[in-house]
Amino acid sequence: MAKAFNLLTSDLDVSSESDLSVSSRASNRSLRVAEKERRKSEAEDPFLLALKYFSEVKAGTPWMGNDVLERNLVLVERMGLTRGLPPEVISTMLDYAMSLRMGAPCVRVLKFLIPATVVPQEAIVRAVAWLCVGKIAISTQVLFLKWVLTFFDMIDSKDHLRSIYGFIFNFVTEEHLCPYICHLLYLLTRKDMLHQRSFIFSLSPQGRQPFLLHLLSLYKVFCPELVTTALPSKLRGGFKNHVTPWKGVLNAIQKRNTGQVTSDIRLTIGVKDGSNSRKRKCNHLQLPSLNSAVQRNLSSTNSRKVFPLEQLHSFPELLDNLHRIELPSQMGSLLGSSLALCYLDYVQDDSAFLRLNFWLGHALHEGKKASPYAQNCVLPVSTCQNCSPLCLFYAYVLSRAPQEGFFSTESFLYKFLNVWDGSLLRPQILGLLSHIPVVPSSCIHQLLFEPLMQLFFSSTLFFKCSVIECLNDMLLKWLTWHSVYSVEDGLDISLNSHTPMNMTLSGFMDSVMELVLFVGRLATVGLQLEGCSSLLLSFVLDFYETVCDMFLKFELPLVVMPPVGVFYPALFATDPVSVDRLCFIMCRYKQNLTAAKFQQQEHVFHISSQTYREFNRYQLLMVSTLWNSRLFQPGMAVEVDHNLLALSKVPEPSASFTLIRHPAFVGYALDFHLKCWPERKDMDLKSVKAGKHWEWYLEFLFSHGYLGLQQFVQSNINWHPGSGTKSQGQGDGQPTNG
Amino acid sequence: MAERSSTMKTPLNKALAQRRSKRRYSRRSCGEGTYLGYTSGRQTVLKIPTSRKKPKSRDITNQVDPDQVALLVKKEWHLSYVTPLYQFRYTMLKTYSKELSAFLVSEKQQGQTIETGQELCFKVNISVVLGLAETNQDAETIYIQILSKQVFAAKDEAQKVVWSGLLTCINGDVDYLRSLPPEFVSLPLLCTSGPESLSALVKSWLKKTFDCCFGPICITSTNLQWLAALWTGCHPTKNIQYLKLAWTIPTQPPMDVTYKVNPQDVWKLWDSARLDDGAEDSINIEEVNSFIRGLQTHFFRHFRLDLSAGSLMRVSTALGSAHHSGKIKITSPDYMTTVLQLLTECALLKMPI
Repeated sequence: MAKAFNLLTSDLDVSSESDLSVSSRASNRSLRVAEKERRKSEAEDPFLLALKYFSEVKAGTPWMGNDVLERNLVLVERMGLTRGLPPEVISTMLDYAMSLRMGAPCVRVLKFLIPATVVPQEAIVRAVAWLCVGKIAISTQVLFLKWVLTFFDMIDSKDHLRSIYGFIFNFVTEEHLCPYICHLLYLLTRKDMLHQRSFIFSLSPQGRQPFLLHLLSLYKVFCPELVTTALPSKLRGGFKNHVTPWKGVLNAIQKRNTGQVTSDIRLTIGVKDGSNSRKRKCNHLQLPSLNSAVQRNLSSTNSRKVFPLEQLHSFPELLDNLHRIELPSQMGSLLGSSLALCYLDYVQDDSAFLRLNFWLGHALHEGKKASPYAQNCVLPVSTCQNCSPLCLFYAYVLSRAPQEGFFSTESFLYKFLNVWDGSLLRPQILGLLSHIPVVPSSCIHQLLFEPLMQLFFSSTLFFKCSVIECLNDMLLKWLTWHSVYSVEDGLDISLNSHTPMNMTLSGFMDSVMELVLFVGRLATVGLQLEGCSSLLLSFVLDFYETVCDMFLKFELPLVVMPPVGVFYPALFATDPVSVDRLCFIMCRYKQNLTAAKFQQQEHVFHISSQTYREFNRYQLLMVSTLWNSRLFQPGMAVEVDHNLLALSKVPEPSASFTLIRHPAFVGYALDFHLKCWPERKDMDLKSVKAGKHWEWYLEFLFSHGYLGLQQFVQSNINWHPGSGTKSQGQGDGQPTNG
Repeated sequence: MAERSSTMKTPLNKALAQRRSKRRYSRRSCGEGTYLGYTSGRQTVLKIPTSRKKPKSRDITNQVDPDQVALLVKKEWHLSYVTPLYQFRYTMLKTYSKELSAFLVSEKQQGQTIETGQELCFKVNISVVLGLAETNQDAETIYIQILSKQVFAAKDEAQKVVWSGLLTCINGDVDYLRSLPPEFVSLPLLCTSGPESLSALVKSWLKKTFDCCFGPICITSTNLQWLAALWTGCHPTKNIQYLKLAWTIPTQPPMDVTYKVNPQDVWKLWDSARLDDGAEDSINIEEVNSFIRGLQTHFFRHFRLDLSAGSLMRVSTALGSAHHSGKIKITSPDYMTTVLQLLTECALLKMPI
């Protein structure tokens, strides 16, 4: 580490020097200086000093109370457990420990001997030689073998180890070492090695241990004449996967080391070797491994050197080799690597996307059948390492979300909606759905509405809520997009987008209109199906909170009123929150329409008089219902025959939804009544209406946080709190636009 | 509801007007454009056809090598769909053969630490079946054959065919095929015949080499009905001998009904189901439905069992047989293309994108 840092600084020195003077002599001098500095710092680096200590310490030096040893040991230990040790340090320390030059610390050394990159095989050969000396305690020998097995894959090459095969084989007779030795031999054995030797090996009756049998079966495969014992055809259990103290630390170190460069550069997250799992049923859900494409036409390889993606380990490497990276043979493998995905983003290769698209589509499609484990996937990316590709895929898509959605998702999303059961990966799918770009009104029905409608009507309340929420998100995104791009039109946006899709304002408005009307229909039927559930109503009102502000917030000259199927359930809801929100929405509608009317006079656009009429009708109805007790009266929107009302035997039916008797507020009225006249036995809600009490009652309601209601009352009703008179409210003058 | 005029009338002020009238969105979106999602056959929304051409007896031995035809018929094929093959070249079939055989051997050896004794050697033939394609957009059919031999077998000992496979596309949806970039070859239907383990290996090799994906095809009830009608329609030119239909009725326990009809009778029924106004050489879904309904009504009259409550599982005639689970057997080469076309359709519809 220190070395690398010094090199870097010396490089900097060189460049800065040479910038200052062109003379090469000067830069030579600076190189010399840097070299000298490097040596000096090397001499001072305590870590290097510690290593020097361990390689030179004399045998027989006492270790009890040896402070120097302790200090150095702690230094290397900390390095080993935090960052891993470089190969030469492994070599030194292993030699130090196995030679037992100072006796006791051997076990301690082995415990922190975590390689950062590779284990030099020479170190192991030397250690095996020390093992043959036979001074080491059995438990330590076992620990050493465990260590070798744990890091077997990190040994740089194994040919020298194979050349001492016979020596290792000798340890088989050692009872305690036998399982580990067998495992090691199993890993080392090659066919040709057996032909040259012959082993005399007799099996004692208790010797039919699984590890021995495994080794023997391997021998029998390679050289049937060598093994005469009959072996069971099926062997149960293999070599034990020993729990070793190193694995966790190794994982942590690897993660940290790589994490310093990029967030995760493990190129093969969740990748399983396909050959091992070919018998498994759902191996289509595993990511293929990252392999470079087979180069068949040699001419192209000669012209430029290619850099396979699987060799890519850091972001700087990606930048250096950007021009000569080749895509893997299976695009699905890209999902395992964030670096590779960065590259994919950069190349923008149509057929690469298409290949990925096919793979993703297939994974999603087939994933339906075998994805119980895909359900419990939790984002973000870092936690995704053990879950299905679907999850990775979703993570991928999410990571692209800020860059205007992910192009290839829509395509199979539309198709997938048709086969979706509404439960698989629901949050993810709906999340994706809310990211799709504006769909032209001509195909919005077929692509989006029909499949969604089927799912919506045949699913649970919670699904209905999440669909409405998703559509609200979608609308918000479309509107945001509209407001951003309609302002930015000074810039030529088509430059940075791949295919300019010219969508006119009217086309966009058509799509938005379709979406809003669609949600209106969904909500109407949904509320009926679910008995006007407050939960669903709340999601629907969320949606209309977006809709009512389209003109003022997003500059879209479009005002769409909610259908009666939404308006009445909200107005007559049993929970005060819904009524309050409806009031708020109506206020926003009023502000939008007023603003639109003002601008409309300048003839920029045109909002239909029908919309104004509709708004006025709703407004009037709300005022007369909540305030004036004129519900069901002739001229109002809801007209019911007097005789019919009389049959219901409700006293004063026209006043049954005033702020006092409305089912949502009656509780407050009672509460208020109780507070005003605590000693009164008979409840008379009418008294709340009288004089000052009415004013207080409203204040009481507003103080409970019903700000929408407050806004509604203040903006629509000529009511002066100070005057003490309950004046006639009036449907506010939104003069109908002739 | 708000009505909007689709154009803007008069500007609020000059600048705004200019800005607004220029307001166009340049962004990929649905509908047109050359970007990925849109080129890739997505917009060609594949529809289930409601009418088909009447099967013509086509002596394919004129166009296709009779030896190759002999390989295709009288085998039971398992069907799967295949996403388009990336960078598949017809000129490199020899190389592919070698690679596949090497792959098979290495894969077989990997699992052999314990099972020993049968050292196999595979020979792979990959060939083109020329002349089977119907339109210019159809890629030529590929035939894969795997032969096995013992390593130390005598020279003259016959090699045994252990596996064969067919990658084909007959009358594939033209719009879809056109929308694919040139690097892709679409052979959406894979028929395999042989041990499942070999199928899996071949598939994994294809996956690795051409970056494609596989999935199973089920032949739906509707498609089986189509097949029944199409085969019956062939009766005047080629004796179908019988029409056998197998239904599964969802009772407790499930009941299987096999329904075998005399060819002459079934032809008469089919002929009566044909609509007069329909074009002579095409068949409508209504005709197929009324044909099947006719069969079901007849059955109901005798056994008081409504077959339409169950699902059709299997259809067979002397020309071939098809099973719901995606197995098919073609016995006569004459109407092979008709059946393969239907299956190509199934495969394309089944494909995720």
